[in-house]
Amino acid sequence: MCPQAQLTGLHSRSEELVELTRSYDRGRVSWPEVETQLKKETAQLVRLQESLGFEYVSDGALSWQDPLRPLTRSFAGVTSGTRYSRWFDTNTFYQKPVVTAKITPDGFKIQDFLQTELLPKTGKWKVSIPGPYTFSELSENRYYRDKSDLVLDVANAQREVVKKLAAAGVSLVQLSEPCLVYRPYREDPLSRAEIDLALRGIRRVVEGVQARFLVQSFFGDATPVLTSLLELPVEAFGFDLYETDYSKLHIETTKDLVLGILDSRESHIEDAKWVAETALRVTKHVDAPSVALAPNSDLKFLPRPTADKKAAVLAEAVRILKEAS
Amino acid sequence: MAKLFPVQEIGSLAKPLWRTKGIRQQLSSQDLKEAEDWAVRLGLDNFHDLAKSILKDTDPKSRARQVLQLSTVYGLRLFEKAGLDNNGVGGEQQRVEMYEHVIKAVEGMEFLGHVHSFDYKYFKKAVALSEIRRRHPIYLQEFLDVRQYSKSPVKVPITGPYTLVDWSFNEHYLRKNENHNLKQRKQEARREFLLDMVEKVIRPEIRNLLDAGASWIQIDEPAVTTHPEPFDMELFVEAWNETVRGFNCKFSNHTCYPSEIGYKILAEYAPKLDKCSQLALEFANRDNPRLGAEEAVREGYRALLQFVENGFDGEFGVGVVHVHDFTGDADPKAGRVVERNIIESPELVRDRLLYASKIVGDPAKIWVNPDCGLRTRTWDVAFAKLANIVKGAQLAREAYD
Repeated sequence: MCPQAQLTGLHSRSEELVELTRSYDRGRVSWPEVETQLKKETAQLVRLQESLGFEYVSDGALSWQDPLRPLTRSFAGVTSGTRYSRWFDTNTFYQKPVVTAKITPDGFKIQDFLQTELLPKTGKWKVSIPGPYTFSELSENRYYRDKSDLVLDVANAQREVVKKLAAAGVSLVQLSEPCLVYRPYREDPLSRAEIDLALRGIRRVVEGVQARFLVQSFFGDATPVLTSLLELPVEAFGFDLYETDYSKLHIETTKDLVLGILDSRESHIEDAKWVAETALRVTKHVDAPSVALAPNSDLKFLPRPTADKKAAVLAEAVRILKEAS
Repeated sequence: MAKLFPVQEIGSLAKPLWRTKGIRQQLSSQDLKEAEDWAVRLGLDNFHDLAKSILKDTDPKSRARQVLQLSTVYGLRLFEKAGLDNNGVGGEQQRVEMYEHVIKAVEGMEFLGHVHSFDYKYFKKAVALSEIRRRHPIYLQEFLDVRQYSKSPVKVPITGPYTLVDWSFNEHYLRKNENHNLKQRKQEARREFLLDMVEKVIRPEIRNLLDAGASWIQIDEPAVTTHPEPFDMELFVEAWNETVRGFNCKFSNHTCYPSEIGYKILAEYAPKLDKCSQLALEFANRDNPRLGAEEAVREGYRALLQFVENGFDGEFGVGVVHVHDFTGDADPKAGRVVERNIIESPELVRDRLLYASKIVGDPAKIWVNPDCGLRTRTWDVAFAKLANIVKGAQLAREAYD
């Protein structure tokens, strides 16, 4: 099954960086001091992934203030409001984007997304950004009368962003779509019309962009939307194993699977053998050409040493799987 | 007839620099300058004797103890001066913060480090590594000090077990569980951890507080609206009911800053909370800084209706002032904006109370408080807000005369 491992989303900041950024926030240190530490830690994370043999390397997005902010900055018609909203069912928050005019691409800066100078010159780079449906759902819409116009304009603007990311050297773009699956309050699964709208948005983003795309779902049961995700013109799809009961799935697909198999919300370090065995069990229900093992969402929910140990578990599980095959 | 619209403090006050420094190191008379200024404002006649005693105390433990006692007295006097009817525990001056203060006293738990919340904000997380149990009393000494120094009734806010568990990692209980369904495994481990937190940490603490004379415990559960899944909400109810079982005192719940559907969910489950005689909730944060007691103006308070419609028939602690940074403009009659603060006017407080009373249908069920603790505001701002709450409550009372 050609196993691989990869990180997903925002990685964890070290205690040193926590202390420095706090001091910066209180006006006690200058930004260059923070930046030096940010670069040092990004380089460490890149080296870690290289040493673990990850095919796609992420910079960990250590400077991102929340998962939406870089995209918001790259759009005209959207501002970061002053209101902080809870990020799903976590104890973390994001600045709610406020849509006040037609959304167009504007203000893209590569450094808002990636520390390109710290990523390996010859390797493949991965970046994770919220998909158009999730970005739209988490924004406060004060402009569009029709939600589909909002989603499609976000998608159009996002396509320009990913084109630039691809031009800068990104090989794999993860479109994170937790809003497709997060339905905690006895809601029915997303309606067909909503799923179709989300899929139209994703299609619009990937159209004509020279990069691999992964649509990743987390924080909810992916079972009701997986078949739909397989219709997308993307190379890979993924889901959260801590929310999705794989034993109910019977899927055969030509797309690669990214399996959210490590729990990014718990400090318990999974046993690599257990990870490998579980991945094998899942592949009996989801027949995909290749499987990448990943955390189920951002490792930023863990202290840095724990997050790094989890990354190493992924590599060890991949080694076990390769040996077994 | 009992006084309408009694005013209560709901959480913590900022810790003065002399308090933060004084529990760690020797203070100089310069360090106590701010304390001296406030002593005059709060009418602490014996300040110089107390200061002298702290300054000459070379034993770190007893000095820290004196500093904590003194800052508790300051918190209590500030509330009294502002005119509050219930002083809480004087602004929680003896606690580090609501999570760490408790976890430090729990055997079997260890702090792992900080995780990112947003921007440059972080929270410290601990993990359950073995069976948990309370090492020593957590809030008792603070309560004994407050009981000694408070001139008004007190209530003891404690961090609820659901929140303590939700904000912690759970290795021990996960390791014990072998369910192959990962979601169910996490849920079962969470339940076991939570019920241990109730039995081995929180109930012994409540027993100590009641034995020492506490008559009102406020259980703070900010995490409860984070997980609106029925499993979690039912777990919260189970833990609450187990927490209060067999105890004879007033219990109330404080839950603020819910997720977008948080209060809708809490409203549905609140009637199932045994002995929960009051829900203290946050509303000002989502309301307009404009005068008026009509529905069209008071959109921030509409969530109250959900609690009433779902059958919660206890009291409400109604948040009438914002406790975080304020950006934007305010109608001058409704409040004045001072740097990053809004000082809500008494008239705005009155209108919020009158509207809340209309929804609840009985003004006797309304207590008045800030949305949450005022610890992110300076003492000047906190005092100004509290004093205006007291005046606003008086205006609302007059409307019922």
